Amino acid sequence: MHCSVTTLALSLASVLVVTRVSAQTAAADGDWTMPSKDYAATRYSGLAQITPANAKKLHPVWTFSTGTLGGHEGQPLVVHNTMYVVTPYPNVLYAFDLTKEGYPLKWKYRPNVDANSIGIACCDVVNRGAVYADGKIVYNLLDGHTVAVDAASGKELWMTKIADLAAGETTPMAPLIVKDRVLVGASGGEFGILGWVKGLDLASGKVVWTATNIGPDSLVLAKAGTFKAFYDKGAQLGQTTWPADTWKHGGAPVWGWMSYDPELDLVYYGVGNPGPYNADQRLGDNKWTASVLARHPGDGSLVWAYQFTPHDSWDFDAAAEMILVDLKVGGKMRKTLVHFDKNGFEYTMDRATGEVLLAEAYVKVNWASKIDLATGRPVLNDSKQTGASRGNVKDICPTLEGGKSPASPVAYSPRTGLFYASTNSMCMDYEAVKTAHLKGTPFMGINSPYHAGSDPNMGAFIAWDATTGKRAWTIEEPFPVWSGSLATRGDVVFYGTLDGWFKAADAKTGAVLWKFKVGSGVVGDPITFTGADGKQYVAIYAGIGGDWLLLSGDYKSDDPNDVREPADFARNLARHTSQGGIVWIFAL
Amino acid sequence: MTHRTSLSRSRIAILAILSLAVSACRKETAVPAAANAAGAENALVISRHDDRIFAGGIAPPAEKVVNSVAQDAKAAEVGATLFTGMNCDGCHGGGAVGAVGPSLTDGRWRYGGADADIYRSIAEGRPKGMPAFGGVLQPAMIWRLVTYIKSLPVPKDVPTESWQ
Repeated sequence: MHCSVTTLALSLASVLVVTRVSAQTAAADGDWTMPSKDYAATRYSGLAQITPANAKKLHPVWTFSTGTLGGHEGQPLVVHNTMYVVTPYPNVLYAFDLTKEGYPLKWKYRPNVDANSIGIACCDVVNRGAVYADGKIVYNLLDGHTVAVDAASGKELWMTKIADLAAGETTPMAPLIVKDRVLVGASGGEFGILGWVKGLDLASGKVVWTATNIGPDSLVLAKAGTFKAFYDKGAQLGQTTWPADTWKHGGAPVWGWMSYDPELDLVYYGVGNPGPYNADQRLGDNKWTASVLARHPGDGSLVWAYQFTPHDSWDFDAAAEMILVDLKVGGKMRKTLVHFDKNGFEYTMDRATGEVLLAEAYVKVNWASKIDLATGRPVLNDSKQTGASRGNVKDICPTLEGGKSPASPVAYSPRTGLFYASTNSMCMDYEAVKTAHLKGTPFMGINSPYHAGSDPNMGAFIAWDATTGKRAWTIEEPFPVWSGSLATRGDVVFYGTLDGWFKAADAKTGAVLWKFKVGSGVVGDPITFTGADGKQYVAIYAGIGGDWLLLSGDYKSDDPNDVREPADFARNLARHTSQGGIVWIFAL
Repeated sequence: MTHRTSLSRSRIAILAILSLAVSACRKETAVPAAANAAGAENALVISRHDDRIFAGGIAPPAEKVVNSVAQDAKAAEVGATLFTGMNCDGCHGGGAVGAVGPSLTDGRWRYGGADADIYRSIAEGRPKGMPAFGGVLQPAMIWRLVTYIKSLPVPKDVPTESWQ
C-alpha cells in the first residue's frame, strides 16, 4: 500500500478532528458494518488506494441481479469477507462469499413479508439497509417486523413485530445498534400514524421501550430533570402544540438514519412530517414533527429536541441524517451536529444542547428568508404559507422532495472538512384540501405538482462547508440527484444519478474523474471495502425507484396493467433508465 | 334469496365439472354423494371474470350484475367527491393517474375492468395493500365510485412513449 509519511500524518490529524467513534472504527476500515459507516454517520472511509490520479482506471469487476424491481436505496454491508445485501420488498437477505471467485452465495434468507406493505409504503418498497453487531445481521422488513439473522449461517434468530401495517405503519428504515439496544422507527407520515421509536434487546428482540415523537411527555419519554430543549420552554410540548387530540393522528414518522455519540450517550434521529398535509387542520407548532430528537439509547429518555420547521406546511420531513463531527464554528471548536434539511437549510448545531450555531440555505429557498439564531425559528415568507384556506399556493422552493432527499445521505471528509451532498433544484405548487382520517387509508389532503427551479439543471452534487455555510464546488446534473455519497481518504468522492451514471469526483475540486452507466438509475448509497486480496473495492446498487411523487412511474415496465404518463418536469428520465436491481462492484 | 340462488347454481357447476371429469376418464369412480353434498353446502358465492381462462372451456355460472348508475354524469360527480373523500387519491393520485397504487386511467386492469370487477376491488380490497372499503361504504356509493373511475378518459396511445 502506497502511503507517504505526510499523508499518514495528515489523515491521523484529520481523524482526531472527527469523533472518538470514528477514530476507533478507523482501524477496521476494510469493513462496512453499519449503514452510515460509523456512529457519527460520516460515510467516510480511511481507504486510499483509489485516488484522483488513478480513478480513471476504475472498472466493474462483479455484478449481481437482486431479482427485485423496487427502488434500491441503502447500501450493502461488508463484514469478515462477506457482503450482505438486503433487497427492497420482499426483503431477501443475500450473503456473498468475497473469498471465492465470482463471490458465490453462502446463503440467502427469504422472510415471509406481507404483500399489503407494497401499497401501504408511501414511497416505493425500499429498504435502507441492515446493520451488523454481535454476529447478527439485523434489519427491518417492510411490513413492520425487525429480524435478526445469524451472520454465519443465515438462520433466523428472532423476529419481532414492531409496527402496525393496518394502521399505515411500514418499516423501510435501517436500524442502529448501540450496545445491546436495537433502535428502530416506522414510516407512515401519509397515513396519520402516531410516530415512534423503539429500543429492542439485541439478544432476544424484545421491545424494551417505546417513545412517541408527538403527544404527552409520558409517551414522548420527556422526563423532568432529563429533558431540556434549548429554545422551547414548558412541559407537554408534544401535546399542547396541537389542537385537541390531533396529535393522535399527527404522523411524525422515522424513516431516515440514526447516529450516536458514545461520550454523550445520545442517539440522534430526525422526525418526519406532521399529518395531514393540510396545515389548517393542525394549527400550532406540531412538536416534535420535522425535528431532531436526542435520546439515551438505554431507556429512550428524551434529552433535547429542536424543531427545524415549526407547523410544517410543506411536508419538510427532517428525516435526514445527523452527522456528528467536531468543527470550528465562530472561532471555537464545537461538538457539532450537521444536518441538511428537506426545507433547504443546512444546520450546524451544538449536539450536546441543541443550539443552532449556523443555518444557511444550500439550495434556493423562498418559504423562509432565514433562520433566526436567537429564537431558532425560521423567518417566514407569508405568501408561501399553505393550508386549505389559502388555496393553490404557487412556486414554493424547495419542493416536498427536499433541497436534499433524506433518502440520499451526505458524506463528510475530515481531510477536506467538506460535506458532500446530492441536491435537488425544484419548486412546487401546493394546494391543500380538507381531509378526514380513515384508518388504513392515506391521510394527506394535498395536490402538489413540481416544476424545475431557477438553476440550469434540476439537480447537483455539491461540496459544502458547514462552518461557513457556503458551497465549495458544484457538479450540475440534469435530473434531481437521489443517491447517497461516499468520501474516502484517497480524496475521491462517489455518487450516482437518476439517469444511471455512477461517478467519481475529486473531493477537493469537484472534477469528475470517472463515470460508468450502471443499467438503472441510482438511488442507493456507495460503500468501499478491502477485499480478501487486500485491494480497495467500491460497491453501489443500481435500481431506480423510491418516491412515487418524484418518479411518476413511466420508467416502470413490469406491469402491463399500469402504464403512466411521465412527470411534467422530467419527461426525459425514462429515456435513460428503467427499473431493475443490480449490485455493482468496481476496482482499479 | 340471492344466497339460495347462488347455492343452487354452484351445485349445477359442481355437477357440470363432475360430468366433465367422468367423460374425460371413464374409469374414474364417482365422488361419494356425501362429499358432493358437503361441497355444495360449503360453496362460496363466486363471480365470473370474463378475462380469466376457464377450465374445460366452461365459464363458472355467474349472476348478471348491473351497475344501475353506469355512465350517469351525476353519479360520476358523486364518485369523484368520494374518490377524494375516501382518500383514494392518496394512493392512486389526483385524477387516478397512478402513484403508490396503479393508474386507473390507462384502460388496463390488474383485476378486471368490468364494472362488477372494479366494484369487487373496492368492496373486498386486493392483496397488495388496496383496503377493503365494503365496511365503510354502502353499495350505492361503491357503484358511484365505479362510474367515476370508468368515466376517466383513456389516452389514445397507451403503449408507446416516444422521444423522437
